[in-house]
Amino acid sequence: MDSAIAAGAAPPAQEAARASYRIQVKGLNKSFTVEGRELKVVDEVSFGVRQGEFVALLGPSGSGKSTILNMIATLLSSSSGEIAIDGEPVVANRPRRNVGYVFQKDTLFPWRTVAGNIGYGLELAGVAAAERKPRVARAVAAAGLSGFENFYPTSLSGGMRQRVALMRTLITEPEILLMDEPFGALDTHTKLDMHEVLLKLWEREKQTVLFVTHDLGEALTLADRIILLSARPGRLKQDFQVPFARPRNAVTLRETAAYGELFSRIWHSLGEEFAKGASQ
Amino acid sequence: MKGRRWSTLAWQVAIGVSLIAVWQWGWHLHERVPWLVPDILDPYFVSTPSQILDEFFRLSCLRPGGGAWIGWNDGSFGRCLAKAQNNLWIATAVTLRNTLFGFVTGVVSGVVFGLLLGRSDRLSEIFLPYIVAANSIPRIALAPLIILAFGIGAVSKVVTAWLIVVFLVFFNTFEGARSVDRDHISAARLLGASEWQITRTVTIPSTMAWVFASLSPAVSFSLIGVIVGEFIGAEHGIGRMIIEAEARGEAAGMMVAIFVLMLVGVILAGLVRRLQSYLLRWRPVQQSAT
Repeated sequence: MDSAIAAGAAPPAQEAARASYRIQVKGLNKSFTVEGRELKVVDEVSFGVRQGEFVALLGPSGSGKSTILNMIATLLSSSSGEIAIDGEPVVANRPRRNVGYVFQKDTLFPWRTVAGNIGYGLELAGVAAAERKPRVARAVAAAGLSGFENFYPTSLSGGMRQRVALMRTLITEPEILLMDEPFGALDTHTKLDMHEVLLKLWEREKQTVLFVTHDLGEALTLADRIILLSARPGRLKQDFQVPFARPRNAVTLRETAAYGELFSRIWHSLGEEFAKGASQ
Repeated sequence: MKGRRWSTLAWQVAIGVSLIAVWQWGWHLHERVPWLVPDILDPYFVSTPSQILDEFFRLSCLRPGGGAWIGWNDGSFGRCLAKAQNNLWIATAVTLRNTLFGFVTGVVSGVVFGLLLGRSDRLSEIFLPYIVAANSIPRIALAPLIILAFGIGAVSKVVTAWLIVVFLVFFNTFEGARSVDRDHISAARLLGASEWQITRTVTIPSTMAWVFASLSPAVSFSLIGVIVGEFIGAEHGIGRMIIEAEARGEAAGMMVAIFVLMLVGVILAGLVRRLQSYLLRWRPVQQSAT
């Protein structure tokens, strides 16, 4: 359980396994220049995410977890290191077709209705309106947004907006999902609702997910595996499997003894890092 | 709330009635209490409401001579209109048409230039000093030159109006194109948008909010441009009517033209505001600035 993955050359036996990684990160570094000073935020991070795996990237604020995700998403370029998706290195500002991204910030287009936002990706791909309509309707229904198709985002609650954002990404059927604290701005109750929505959707498609969060409960509820990052500069600290059976229920899972036990075990590791993060 | 609305209306009516009353009869008091009634109330300058109303009916050919209303069926309305080539109806139509042309051409070209320069750092780097310099010329100062170049017909009026509108709309569009939310662009790109698709589906819609905000002032500015052009040289138009009335010392005729202008301005601004709130219906709070 406490086996931290060290960066470096893998034994030959693992090379074959690596070929099956959908997302692979090797020796990744990122520094920003802040007021003339070099600030290292990501330090020699290496990990891989396999097909159909739901991985949470967990760490305190300032651990560079969003930075890592944004580099994988090609929104940021790395200072050094390798990132490959399906074995091919990523190029800055050239996002892959089969990779979806969900923001923490509300990035819905305010001038488009719920249906217009959800159908946006299909429009870009040149899907005809006649085919788009039923697909949008299904997505609207799957997110529990029926009746709100013609609402503009400004008249929706935070939770509903995030569902629209989720469906806007999912409708293009990405095989790989990158999620940057998508529920970070929601209240606890809405967050649990969203966990249910996401778990249901994920059970159907089993996308490969990399999910950034600073919320241990959220990571345990959703993920198969948790990669724990240290406080700044973000280093890989630990790599945990989450053994809970699927399909999971976001509410009842939290009431089980196994959940409580794992939570407190990881909490000790995380607690140290949070304390460090706070003192920086 | 309801009581308040009525009291507002009561105040408005009271103020309006007293203003008109002072205008109509105030001058009679001038001889007795000169300190109370300013010289500007002299009917020679501002006429009186009753004279203005008479003049309106005369100029509009609704009641051309003396007391009788126009006969619609005996063709006297047409004969009356034919007497003056710049009658009130033609003048209003011409001014309105030129205002709309100036407005539309100004808005369209302002948006195009604004988007081009707003989206391209290179172009804005090169052209911005020239645009800022041109913008600091009071455009009205160019009106005589435009009349000289384009003659006294409609074109010179449209060009004058265009020149005023285009800068206003350009700067709004430029600002808007520069302040597009970067996360919206990232979101579009991650959903597979090409650069052109980003321009079409993100930059333009989000810039439009800025463009629409400039429409109300743009239509007022367009009207100003047309009137100034008509002052300097024109055959038709309300501005021309004002200049003619001024030359003949006819305060009432001038006032009729000014009131028609006010009406035109109110109607145009109202239409633009309705268009604006329809186009910006996705916004939570509609702005109500004039």
